[in-house]
Amino acid sequence: MTADGRSGPVDGETLDLGDALAVYLSNFWGAPILIENLARIPGGASRETYSFDAVKAGGERRGLILRRDPTGSLIDTDRTTEFLAYQSFQGLAPVPEPIVLEPECGPLQRPFFIMSRVDGGTASSPFAPDPYAPHAEALGRELFAILGRIAGADPLGMPISGAIAAPALEDCWRRELDYWEAVILRDERHPQPIVRAALRRLRRNPPPPAQKLSVVHGDYRSGNFLHDGRGRILAILDWEMAHLGDPLEDLAWCLDPLWSHFDETRAAGSLPVAEAIDVWKAESGLTVDPKAFAWWRLFSSVKGQGIWTTSAKTFAEGGHDLVLAFSGLYTARRHDQIIADRLERLVATEGWA
Amino acid sequence: MTPTAPELLHGCVAALSVPPAREEMGAFFAGTVAVVALLEVFAAQECATGSAARVWENAALRDILPDAAEVGDGDYSLDALDRANAELRRRLIRLHAAAEATGDTALDRRILALYREMAARRLLHLPTAG
Repeated sequence: MTADGRSGPVDGETLDLGDALAVYLSNFWGAPILIENLARIPGGASRETYSFDAVKAGGERRGLILRRDPTGSLIDTDRTTEFLAYQSFQGLAPVPEPIVLEPECGPLQRPFFIMSRVDGGTASSPFAPDPYAPHAEALGRELFAILGRIAGADPLGMPISGAIAAPALEDCWRRELDYWEAVILRDERHPQPIVRAALRRLRRNPPPPAQKLSVVHGDYRSGNFLHDGRGRILAILDWEMAHLGDPLEDLAWCLDPLWSHFDETRAAGSLPVAEAIDVWKAESGLTVDPKAFAWWRLFSSVKGQGIWTTSAKTFAEGGHDLVLAFSGLYTARRHDQIIADRLERLVATEGWA
Repeated sequence: MTPTAPELLHGCVAALSVPPAREEMGAFFAGTVAVVALLEVFAAQECATGSAARVWENAALRDILPDAAEVGDGDYSLDALDRANAELRRRLIRLHAAAEATGDTALDRRILALYREMAARRLLHLPTAG
């Protein structure tokens, strides 16, 4: 039974998702709704994602996306955070319109939210070679300009800031490092000396305090946006890891070699890296301190290894999403290589203790 | 530990054993089949080169660790090699932390170079289309 008295099947019982959605949205909008073209779409392992049309009695049709909690998840994510992030960035960044957040299990067996569907775009695989050609430079300028706007925005007063903790500027790095270190130690099934060495080095060589507190998307990278194939970004997606922190965190994550489409001279398969950083700086009004950025770049790969460590454990324990296996295997091994290369370079040439 | 070849293949079987729901029949099921194929390629790579990578890594770890000669590779199955590797990696973590704490720069650099080689030998490769 949900908070408003509606009931639904509990997990383990058969659920006709289309029928259940029709009942839910009819109650929500106070008018009969038909559900058409319901289809699960591939994507990340943190939420089940479905596309559908909601059709009102007069024929008015609206394209929507359902994001439902999975039974086994890649990361601990908060659907409320993602929903509030979409609310927070309406008009500031291209994001879908959030429609309704349902925290109860009753209506669709698991909590979910619904948002508008952005049609006409595609999300490229982060492992496809050169997916944005021949519009890679135009797309890159937009990708890093949007990230600059997110970084430069004042989170105070945004809906999301009321729901997530605001660390002190000098604590942004420590909070993230503490979190991901705990994840790695909790979930590793086999000793991981490379990431353990990186954790120790990050703690011994901390970055300066964040220059400002920003909303950090948390997974801003190639593959997590819709583009029109002609260099225009239609929507920034997958905000479930959003938090408040150092704006360099997102920039470093987006520039991680894992998301480079096998060309580390280009940022996320788009612009040359230096140009991408210049676009970000111009749009955000922020600077990129080399010492701080070196720390956040190594941290990004460690954070990735944290995610992949959890995905491997979840898959081994019976998680049925094969994306967990891919992440826990292929990406984990690539990040080991990226971390090992970066560690050796930082110690040899950057004077890291 | 990254998923083992048997875990990958069991996962693929499980994913294809359950008929997809009506709403999962289109792009989602096609995506599932594509990931199954990819994981089978990775399982094949592990079976082809995984033993060699582990035998090399375990020997390299025994070479750098004091008093590790008794940690043997058993019957050279992936399971046995992984058991030995886990013990050797635990010792390497302790050795590296101690080298950092005592300022043993030469050993630190040697271990960092070893990490690079260990990671390179464990890499898997995406199949190329066509």
